[in-house]
Amino acid sequence: MNATPLALYLVAGVAYAVHFGTRSPSSGRIATVSLVFGALVHTFIIGMQTMQVGHVPLVGTTGAISAFVWVLALAYLYTEMTTDERAMGIFIVPLMVVLQLIPAISNNVTARPPVLESRWFEIHVFSLLVAYATFALACVISVTYVLLFKELKGKHLGVFYARLPSLQVLDGMNGRAVTFGWVFLTLGLAVGAIWLVQVQPGAADPRVQAMSLLDPKIFTVLLCWLVYTFSLYARRAFGWGGRRAAWLSTFGFAILMLNFVPIGYFGTSSHNFY
Amino acid sequence: MHLFLLGASHHSAPVDLRERIDFAHRGIPEALAAIVETTGLAEVVVLSTCNRAEIYAHSETHGRLAEGLAGFMSAFHDVPEPELAPHLYSRQGGDAARHLFRVVAGLDSLVVGEPQILGQVKDAFSIAAERGFTGAALNRLFHTSFTVGKRVRSETGLGEGAVSVSYAAISLARKIFGDLAGRRALVVGAGEMAELTTTHLRSQNVGRIGVANRSAARAAVLAATVDGVAVPWEEITAELTTTDIVLTATGAPRWLLTRAQVAEAMRPRRDRPLFMIDIGLPRDVEPSASDVEQVFLYNIDDLQSIVRENLARRQTQVDRAELMVREEVDGFMRWLRSRGAIPTVVALRKHFERTRRQELERLAPRLASLPPAAQTRVEEVTRLLVEKLLSSPTQQLKAAPDEEAVAADADTLSRLFGLDERAADERRRTLRDREAAGTGAEPPPAPRNR
Repeated sequence: MNATPLALYLVAGVAYAVHFGTRSPSSGRIATVSLVFGALVHTFIIGMQTMQVGHVPLVGTTGAISAFVWVLALAYLYTEMTTDERAMGIFIVPLMVVLQLIPAISNNVTARPPVLESRWFEIHVFSLLVAYATFALACVISVTYVLLFKELKGKHLGVFYARLPSLQVLDGMNGRAVTFGWVFLTLGLAVGAIWLVQVQPGAADPRVQAMSLLDPKIFTVLLCWLVYTFSLYARRAFGWGGRRAAWLSTFGFAILMLNFVPIGYFGTSSHNFY
Repeated sequence: MHLFLLGASHHSAPVDLRERIDFAHRGIPEALAAIVETTGLAEVVVLSTCNRAEIYAHSETHGRLAEGLAGFMSAFHDVPEPELAPHLYSRQGGDAARHLFRVVAGLDSLVVGEPQILGQVKDAFSIAAERGFTGAALNRLFHTSFTVGKRVRSETGLGEGAVSVSYAAISLARKIFGDLAGRRALVVGAGEMAELTTTHLRSQNVGRIGVANRSAARAAVLAATVDGVAVPWEEITAELTTTDIVLTATGAPRWLLTRAQVAEAMRPRRDRPLFMIDIGLPRDVEPSASDVEQVFLYNIDDLQSIVRENLARRQTQVDRAELMVREEVDGFMRWLRSRGAIPTVVALRKHFERTRRQELERLAPRLASLPPAAQTRVEEVTRLLVEKLLSSPTQQLKAAPDEEAVAADADTLSRLFGLDERAADERRRTLRDREAAGTGAEPPPAPRNR
């Protein structure tokens, strides 16, 4: 079932690439329309699965990835509609396609173990997914910032000069996205911690017992939180913007993706709900 | 049905001749009235810019238009015909349409893709249209040309990229800062380029323009002309800490700003970018200053090479634009030819309608006994029958591939249905009307609220 949004995202990705290359208005419209349809179908699928199992399918890395791609599609569409910029699509949609391959292949809804039957769990996962999607956007914005910066500094005005908004606009977008993502990351981690304190003493589940600061998944996400916190602090305290902020944002997201997919599948003994 | 163009442009005539045949001297409305008076044309538009003077005309008959219009141009501008004639070009039919579309697309401009010509053509057309000098053919021609202009600009890169040094500097500034409103600029030195760029900056609503010059008096004068603030010479480096855009044009033998000075100024600015435009010769800013983080330093050569690249890139878009022009010319010519068939279509319809009426009148006594509803029905059925019989011939007539085919169709139909006499009457009446419109009282000029 997850293959339908995958196909639509793929069409959108190709159309964004064509639009980036030729800048023809029709390919841009095709790109946005296919992405909107992809997101709608994806919404429908997640809704169906929710009805099927009685809760939002966020358990397990596969479900989480599908939900992440869905949030990312919505976040990107929101950015495109509000800024009227389509140039980022070529960077963000391929990421969605690659991630969506996972739920499209292993298309099963993980049953929720009793320990996760809690409102806290849903807030925890959902906040983190929103944070991840926002950081993904911030990362893409940062990459485009660096590319445009290179062209301007090197005086070779090329594809990015013709297609991207100004450096200051990109820097501002990166700053706002990181702030927004940081709020949700902090919220998600805090809710997770509060909930853990409540359930850990009485829980027999070995995964709950394994939840500590030394678990790879928890450790890495805290590292991420430190990177983004530093980025925000440095912007206010020492005026770090531009390229420095862009590199921090890219670095933070790289760790995040590492944590989300490989560590999420193989490296953690506390968050392996698949 | 005849579309015609006569004109001279920067391709065909030197500037001194173009100046003498500029229609703006004596006024375009006057020129339009004079053309109609001397040639009897019904549809005329005069396009006059600093690079071209062109007359677009449409007439129902194939006359000696070229000679007539050339004679008019020579007389109107008081330039002897032998002197003018070698610099004039004329185009007819599809070639005339193609010429206009290429002009509007910016393909015929001195700087390929320049944007102003579209507005100039719109003005030229509205001057003629508001005074009643245009009809269906030229209205359609010019409106199609506006579509071509818009399509070429939105669907190709023909009009993209700055093609003047001062505008290239502004484009770069906008790519760094986004909106320039409220930014601070500093101009050091003077010169034509500096003034031009400063004017552009002013038009972008730059917040404050500081002006520095070795002579304080000169700085004050320059500041007054660009609505800026005079900055003392010693305070240039201090000013750098708060300025976003610096333009230097002193050409002093030594560095005006060294790398160390720029780096020092950047410290309190942190990661706020500084755009430096160095158009001094020799250069004013030490080139290695561009290594400082967030400093974007462009000298005159950099700007000129951007302009060259943009011109080259525009050139690559020419083929796509030409293709659009061709498509639109084909569409327009199809429409124009279909209009050529209209008199025949009208004659044919009148013939059928007259026959229908005659038959109904003949049958009137017998139909009178029918109830009113049935009478209406008979009327309706006969009308629909005529419509149906004529629908395919009408379509075929309008789709004729060229003017000869239109004429051949007209002949055949006239012969088959005996339309000739009546059609000839019709044509004579149209011509008489047109002459009356052309030479008689002009419609009063419409008020122009622009």
